Amino acid sequence: MILPIGPVHPNLKEPLRLKLKTQGERVLSAEIDYGYVHRGIERVMKGKTWQKGIYLSERVCGICSYIHTQTFAETFEKIAGERAPLRAQFLRVLTNELDRIQSHLLANSTYFKCIEHETLFMYMLYLREPVMDAIELLTGNRVNMGWNVVGGVKMDVNQSHLDSIQEIITKLESEFDRYVEMFDHGPMVGLRSHDVGKLTQEEAIKARAVGPIGRASGLKHDLREKHHTYQDNFDFKVIWRKDQDNYARNMNRFDEITESMKLIKQVILNLPEGDVRKKINIPAGYGEWRNEAPRGEVTYSIETNGNLIKNISIRTPSIMNIDACAKYMLKDVATVADAISTYASVDPCIACTERVVIVDESGKSGEYVYPEYKLEYKSE
Amino acid sequence: MLDGLKDIIRKSSIHVCLVSTGGCNGCDIEVVALLSPRYDLEQYGIYVTNNPREADVVLVTGAVTEQWRDKLERIFAKVPDPKIVVAIGNCPLSGDVFNQEGGSVYAPVSDYIPVDAEVSGCPPRPTEILAAILSAGPDAIAAKGRQKV
Repeated sequence: MILPIGPVHPNLKEPLRLKLKTQGERVLSAEIDYGYVHRGIERVMKGKTWQKGIYLSERVCGICSYIHTQTFAETFEKIAGERAPLRAQFLRVLTNELDRIQSHLLANSTYFKCIEHETLFMYMLYLREPVMDAIELLTGNRVNMGWNVVGGVKMDVNQSHLDSIQEIITKLESEFDRYVEMFDHGPMVGLRSHDVGKLTQEEAIKARAVGPIGRASGLKHDLREKHHTYQDNFDFKVIWRKDQDNYARNMNRFDEITESMKLIKQVILNLPEGDVRKKINIPAGYGEWRNEAPRGEVTYSIETNGNLIKNISIRTPSIMNIDACAKYMLKDVATVADAISTYASVDPCIACTERVVIVDESGKSGEYVYPEYKLEYKSE
Repeated sequence: MLDGLKDIIRKSSIHVCLVSTGGCNGCDIEVVALLSPRYDLEQYGIYVTNNPREADVVLVTGAVTEQWRDKLERIFAKVPDPKIVVAIGNCPLSGDVFNQEGGSVYAPVSDYIPVDAEVSGCPPRPTEILAAILSAGPDAIAAKGRQKV
């Protein structure tokens, strides 16, 4: 029988319909219906200046709103062939890692709610609030920060901000291990998490799983390694695991939070002096930039005439991860409750995914690049 | 006397249903933050159920997208009386940035269902959402309940 779940469901923050094909309690396969959050944001962006575009790009997704603006700004900086001042790059790293911490904590809290572990759910939200305070202190807003501009960041920080953030991170670090241990050694959590929702490495490659989901399946791939700021200035190690199940995905996120806290400390220690914003003249051209969002890689391809955005295409990680979940993880799951928790372990972000629908009548599935511009800018 | 008793019960146990009708999910995570120990929605006798059939208060976040145009009314019909609707964020009020040329949103929410309270902001802070639910919720539910009886 087909068991529909959603679009309004206690454990899904966002609307999405999950159709589970069940036999008794066993879930045989799953299908996902998208389209509840499609707002046509790329279409709205076309013909707007970057000042309006960056505001819109923040509204692609609320949870990882920061990385969208950073990628948008860096795409324009790439078109101009310039980079933001070093202090601005450091501040971007600082905000990015704070955003990653709160996003991962929220994702794990959703998972714990799905396995009915109310205690850890509350603890995760308890840990998250100070991080939201740090973000608010730094940028002025809790969710949609409006922090990036093309050529740097909007505001400078002073020492008192950094001291407060350092204090928050130190406190988080001292408490954090206890909660990770609760998850790591909890017998009930283990029963619900180990060997549930397996995604093997081959399947992860086939489904193009990225981010913590791919890394938990043994794909050591983190775009921060290739980002110039991280490459030149920071030491961090890519967290990846081999156990491939729900436990691995959550544990991977926990370990990444630890790594992010180390990065924040490095930023505060080594923050260089200088400007945080410079004027960049944007020429006409086409650029593409990829960044590591909390959920994986986010790609922006922008074509501009120097003033207005002519074309824009946004590719977000959730679409691949949710597809990997529907195709491979929700295949022969023992119970419906496990299917829900597996779905939550993928950290789905529906507002991110609802980008564009390509219907090709001839049946060819082409990549979403504007053909004429691809030829024109091939040499780049 | 029965009315008074019902008032007390209705005021002290409010079930909230979050319906996201297509926004950037910023408001949704601020509602989730309400559950955290810092804001602690449940100390005011408010429970998040997300089952429309059990709810007293419907929180609508998001501009109405194509898929939600008929579904929103259907969900509202399933909520038992007395019920109130709180619109959270700019999207349900005006469509915010999505309500421009090219966007496929059909805001405002009040075209589809009656809205009792509105919280503007992109997104509003959790305290503002909480204040809106508390100031509009219990009394409006009690008043609407008396109308029916």
